[in-house]
Amino acid sequence: MGPVPRTLELFYDVLSPYSWLGFEVLCRYKNIWNISLQLRPSFIAGIMKDSGNQPPALLPRKAQYLRNDVRLLGQYVQVPMHLPKDFFSVILEKGSLSAMRFLTAVSMEHPEMLEKVSRELWMRVWSRDEDITEPQSILAAAEKAGMSSEQARGLLEKISTPKVKNKLKETTEAACKYGAFGLPITVAHLDNQTHMLFGSDRMELLAHLLVFRPG
Amino acid sequence: MGPVPRTLELFYDVLSPYSWLGFEVLCRYKNIWNISLQLRPSFIAGIMKDSGNQPPALLPRKAQYLRNDVRLLGQYVQVPMHLPKDFFSVILEKGSLSAMRFLTAVSMEHPEMLEKVSRELWMRVWSRDEDITEPQSILAAAEKAGMSSEQARGLLEKISTPKVKNKLKETTEAACKYGAFGLPITVAHLDNQTHMLFGSDRMELLAHLLGEKWMGPVPPAINARL
Repeated sequence: MGPVPRTLELFYDVLSPYSWLGFEVLCRYKNIWNISLQLRPSFIAGIMKDSGNQPPALLPRKAQYLRNDVRLLGQYVQVPMHLPKDFFSVILEKGSLSAMRFLTAVSMEHPEMLEKVSRELWMRVWSRDEDITEPQSILAAAEKAGMSSEQARGLLEKISTPKVKNKLKETTEAACKYGAFGLPITVAHLDNQTHMLFGSDRMELLAHLLVFRPG
Repeated sequence: MGPVPRTLELFYDVLSPYSWLGFEVLCRYKNIWNISLQLRPSFIAGIMKDSGNQPPALLPRKAQYLRNDVRLLGQYVQVPMHLPKDFFSVILEKGSLSAMRFLTAVSMEHPEMLEKVSRELWMRVWSRDEDITEPQSILAAAEKAGMSSEQARGLLEKISTPKVKNKLKETTEAACKYGAFGLPITVAHLDNQTHMLFGSDRMELLAHLLGEKWMGPVPPAINARL
């Protein structure tokens, strides 16, 4: 057997388009690099609050830039990204609390479904401009990912339980402890160091760190 | 003759470490890709003001992240980046106005020296933790870049003239018109579109937009175009 796979934790929120880009790239590389990819559903609004940061979309020039950047990167990274018509409402008003609690429940009870369900939620909000806040929206994503209606409903019932709410809180706090001020963050656990990399545009550097382990 | 080189404008400020990373990568590729690299000395504090943004270093977690990010990227991009001891004072208090006015004067009178003098200013502030605000600091950088003492002094005298001050203002405004909220920005002029890319981490995407090959931040020199 070869060397032990290095653990990469990806903290993400489906509200974040850059999280989707990072997620897809790492999902492709998980079968190529000697890594163990751990998906960590987190709450971006909680990270903003804890760090004192604010969503970039609130600054007009950043919002304008984001729209273009996300579109171009979607094409380059081959992720079917399409901006929602009411971009600001989606990001700043509707949010992602139920969706991320649902993914937390999935991670706790059916972790093998976490990748697919996460993807279907991104496809709804960031590809087809569909809602991800209503119960039926979340169920539709889960079923599209291959969950039975029963299984999905069962998990949906749990999203307001203390167990699930606390787990999402803990994961979000863990991201904050790694220094997150936004999402996605990729935490690479190397032999004697831990590196937190912010954004979807540090993958080349990550590859270098996984091979060369500089001091 | 081949196709017309595409113009890339790099708007930068020596106060910005990410500007240095973007600058070195583009300087390496200017002899590999079919591009015409136009260096545009700009004033980052002016861009922050105009866009309503604030320096990332003002948010504690971003400051902490930056310090690590800039160090790791320096190693990966092979740029001798070393954080100044008093990081906050350099970025938030001392600033870069004289340095960028000097580079503006260089761009107007000795554009062939602009790359080297820019590099020497970055080496001072972001490699050797040396001042770039005092006249003698700026002269030292210019001389290290190969300017004669006379030439350098002559340009230094011009940095408070309306001509130079206005030129820096105009360049900074041009960056703002392209949508800048920080630096560096790379503006790629393609056949029928213009793309503004922010930061030093969009070079692979830039290669894709140009139809050129991305070979990482340290491309092999043997591919250099003669």
